[in-house]
Amino acid sequence: MNNTAASPMSTATSSSGRNTGKSISFATELQSMMYSLGDARRPLHETAVLVEDVVHTQLINLLQQAAEVSQLRGARVITPEDLLFLMRKDKKKLRRLLKYMFIRDYKSKIVKGIDEDDLLEDKLSGSNNTNKRQKIAQDFLNSIDQTGELLAMFEDDEVDEVKQERMERAERQTRIMDSAQYAEFCESRQLSFSKKASKFRDWLDCSSMEIKPNVVAMEILAYLAYETVAQLVDLALLVRQDMVTKAGDPFSHAISATFIQYHNSAESTAACGVEAHSDAIQPCHIREAIRRYSHKIGPLSPFTNAYRRNGMAFLAC
Amino acid sequence: MASAPRPERVPRLLAGCLPPPPPPPTVGLLSMEQEETYLELYLDQCAAQDDLAPPRSPLFNPVVPYGMYILNASNPDTAFNSNPEVKETSGDFSSVDLSFLPDEVTQENKDQPVISSRHETEENSESQSPQSRLPLPSEQDIGLGLNSSSLSNSHSQLHPGDTDSVQPSPEKPNSDSLSLASITPMTPMTPVSECCGIVPQLQNIVSTVNLACKLDLKKIALHAKNAEYNPKRFAAVIMRIREPRTTALIFSSGKMVCTGAKSEEQSRLAARKYARVVQKLGFPARFLDFKIQNMVGSCDVRFPIRLEGLVLTHQQFSSYEPELFPGLIYRMVKPRIVLLIFVSGKVVLTGAKERSEIYEAFENIYPILKGFKKA
Repeated sequence: MNNTAASPMSTATSSSGRNTGKSISFATELQSMMYSLGDARRPLHETAVLVEDVVHTQLINLLQQAAEVSQLRGARVITPEDLLFLMRKDKKKLRRLLKYMFIRDYKSKIVKGIDEDDLLEDKLSGSNNTNKRQKIAQDFLNSIDQTGELLAMFEDDEVDEVKQERMERAERQTRIMDSAQYAEFCESRQLSFSKKASKFRDWLDCSSMEIKPNVVAMEILAYLAYETVAQLVDLALLVRQDMVTKAGDPFSHAISATFIQYHNSAESTAACGVEAHSDAIQPCHIREAIRRYSHKIGPLSPFTNAYRRNGMAFLAC
Repeated sequence: MASAPRPERVPRLLAGCLPPPPPPPTVGLLSMEQEETYLELYLDQCAAQDDLAPPRSPLFNPVVPYGMYILNASNPDTAFNSNPEVKETSGDFSSVDLSFLPDEVTQENKDQPVISSRHETEENSESQSPQSRLPLPSEQDIGLGLNSSSLSNSHSQLHPGDTDSVQPSPEKPNSDSLSLASITPMTPMTPVSECCGIVPQLQNIVSTVNLACKLDLKKIALHAKNAEYNPKRFAAVIMRIREPRTTALIFSSGKMVCTGAKSEEQSRLAARKYARVVQKLGFPARFLDFKIQNMVGSCDVRFPIRLEGLVLTHQQFSSYEPELFPGLIYRMVKPRIVLLIFVSGKVVLTGAKERSEIYEAFENIYPILKGFKKA
């Protein structure tokens, strides 16, 4: 791919919308989000900018592909079905998305029962609001499922390992906090792209698109954006852990060759190790994570899915 | 203020122990004296069970209320089932004559300003989650319970539990365990919370009743005050009354949903008022199958809770997605209640058909929450 020290992302294909995207920045929100996902107390601004870049590019590409799918169907809006269709290949991530949609439905059902005003509003807006996301997902997967494996996901109760790991990490992180820090942590955890829906829409430059996503599709996009950030942090933490040369590790001399290229030749690997000890995730970790994630290795690499045509694999789907 | 006791408030088992109440021509609330008697009896059994139950380790769920709640669960059904016929006949009378209403009205007047100001402070104190409009209780809630003794007796008639709940004092310790099985109040007015003095307060009750006659919604909307009807949006009349502050959805089939009341009695009273309004408009409304569909309670454990730990150890019951909703959703199996647990320590309980379920659910969750107290 790219082996220059400069960020590969900035040279990646970016739509003209990116210039307007520059004025809207989620960097501060991303810093908060990364903290809640396992990064240090004050994530680096450069890392946040890089993550924003990555997420933005990925979402724009995803939107373009979804628009194409929707055009194939002859529809005028991007619906959640289009996004589900794009995700059909990766079962685990699709299942995570479905679980998220169900929890959303369930939560609105419960909250509706608590506040009488909510109950009235719901009745007024039409009686078919309960479990609407679940119905959409079920109907759609029903229609495209050939082998029955997609529908089997609805009954699947397997533990989602990635989610489990994130929960454990959060638990470890919060165990040592005092209540003031914990309150702050909880506030960061509540940040999401769906809370800033209009800013999110502008950031993706939806208004200039021909085919726009509808409300539920926007919810899914916000979720996918958050999931991308979460994946990036997961992978970056793994990379950082790898970089630390542990005493007695038999492969410490075999650090990936491409990794070294991200640093000036003057720096020694020992200095890399020192840098890796600092708390926050560095941009180099992120870059390395993405490189490894989309690296075409293995016997089937020529046949990997077409989503990689832009040179970057989708992290969220 | 003495009014005839309602038949369904006297369980058949209890009837053997107390002097039988006179058959009521009208339906009314229990008098103060009788409610206090029930209260004392209940507290006595709880005190007796206190002596019987060994000191409980905080890890185990409280055992005490189970037996009673199970009994309660079965009793109300049997007692209520026998009611429709009783209610029918007395219902006809009572729907014609709600002469006791004016008394209730003046008492509600005194309560409403307090309760509505509490609503406002609740809404103002919700800074964390602007999108969820849950009526999270503020400190005033518990304070209201404590201070209700300073309010008139009328308030305590409706919420007798509040004054006594904080200091449950068994006054007659000589009741023995035999009386436990025989004396079971329909709805325990005060649960004895052994681990804490915190009692969940009811925030909202949703009930349904069948007026058993076809209604002309347009006519109702035109002639009734505080009625909205927009057939294009929704096929029901939305009516509101101020005391008790509730909202009703009235359908043309005669079915009605009443929401917003703060206790079972208020919900029933409000439903009767709506039925009265409909009746005054010329429809032969009755009052059949009044049923409480959902009860919502809330309380505050007064310490911050580490939700990440809770969701990890109780995975099969809880789901916590802070980017979606700031609270942890805990689905308790027994009793079947959904609890919303927030970091601040506020707990909202919903999905109950009876008051005892809310109390029981809170008793179950409290030791668990204590285990995840954020120091």
